Amino acid sequence: MHIPDGMLPAEVCIAGYAGTAFLTWLSVKKAQNSSEDSARVVSRASVMAAAFFVASWIHIPIPPVSVHPILAGLMGILLGWISFPAILVGLFFQAAMFGHGGFTTLGINALSMGGAALLAGAVYRLLRGKHKENMSLIPGFFAGFAGVSFAVIFTSSILVLTMPEHIDSGIELSSILAMAVAHLPLALAEGFFTALVARFLLKVKPDMLV
Amino acid sequence: MKVFENWDTTLKIPSLFLLMMSMAFIRDQHLMFLLPCAAAVLFIASGVRLELLLSRLRAPVFFLLAVSTFLILFSEGEIFYKAGPFALKSKGFILAMNTCTRVLSVITIGIVMVNTTPLSGLSVKLKRMLIPSILVDIGIMTGRYIMVIGEDYRKMKNARKLRGYVPGGSISKRFRVIVPAAATLLIRGFQQSEMVFHAMHMRGYGSDFTRNKNRSVDNGFSASGMIMFLLTVTLSVILVILEITID
Repeated sequence: MHIPDGMLPAEVCIAGYAGTAFLTWLSVKKAQNSSEDSARVVSRASVMAAAFFVASWIHIPIPPVSVHPILAGLMGILLGWISFPAILVGLFFQAAMFGHGGFTTLGINALSMGGAALLAGAVYRLLRGKHKENMSLIPGFFAGFAGVSFAVIFTSSILVLTMPEHIDSGIELSSILAMAVAHLPLALAEGFFTALVARFLLKVKPDMLV
Repeated sequence: MKVFENWDTTLKIPSLFLLMMSMAFIRDQHLMFLLPCAAAVLFIASGVRLELLLSRLRAPVFFLLAVSTFLILFSEGEIFYKAGPFALKSKGFILAMNTCTRVLSVITIGIVMVNTTPLSGLSVKLKRMLIPSILVDIGIMTGRYIMVIGEDYRKMKNARKLRGYVPGGSISKRFRVIVPAAATLLIRGFQQSEMVFHAMHMRGYGSDFTRNKNRSVDNGFSASGMIMFLLTVTLSVILVILEITID
């Protein structure tokens, strides 16, 4: 899901940074306008950014492969707007420490996964209002599922559409579809994971959910 | 190496980043040989260990293999080898070679950038480079929490093993183990973050005192650092000009 350095043309990388700069500015603005103290926002975002990083160590078997949770959905649920800068920082650490992703593609990767977190947070809050009797499972599932789906579709579209012009356009579209289908088990797994974690947190520490 | 140590962070990061971007801009195959040459010179000059470079290349190599296979199989143009349903295209092979060269060169520069940048005073220098202070603060604390949460996760895994848990079984069984573990880690992390939040407040986080203290970090640029900066920026500009003129 992470696009490495050098894979995308410089123009796309710059556009990715521009989009990331705008969303980071917007997220910080929203966080500053909220009633929460800035130090608390920073400390919560840091914990989740670290969890986002550590999540790549947890392996969930989806036969025949093993995948790790992305946590975009969970971050959207727990942090709201500030999930975007938290994911940006997490991606920076993954690029610096493991070589997952890259520095020139940091903007695009942040748009993919940070955008997924923002979408997942919005989906969760939207559905939570309509499912008062089952406060976490259904909204949690769809938040996790939407997070992975968005990230997969965004990343594969960027990759395929920036491929050299000598590739047949029909094959480009089939590739996007194939990548999306191949990630369906991961999206389902992340949906269940997010739903169960959200339910657990709602029982044990409900104030953690935004 | 000495010259990389003297190369001030506020000059090194933007200039190497500019070089990586200009390398990403290159598409012409006649210019491709310049990229590994520049990357190799910088890598050797930096003194970064080869084992470190190879270990960091593990993740992108799988990605590169997938992309190269796609390019070789699905490009248009003449077929240079056919084996059953698979037809390998010469155009795709060139594209794959170019992609691999560019990706490996840019990644090498990134590894040099990260591994020659000292951590001391980095936060102040990043803020000076107009990185929003909230991002820098999240970054500093994340670096600390990665160790804490990573250590907690390892302890949990060991505890599970000692209690007789054998990895395997159905997906639902594994979920029943992973979900409470992940949620407990999060709760513990949030509790620690609350404590850190109070400690930050007590130390005057965000007050005028701490902001003024941050400004008093040394700002001098060394001559060798300036030369490296100018060389890197010049190389980046030349690469971009060559790409545009050859087009």
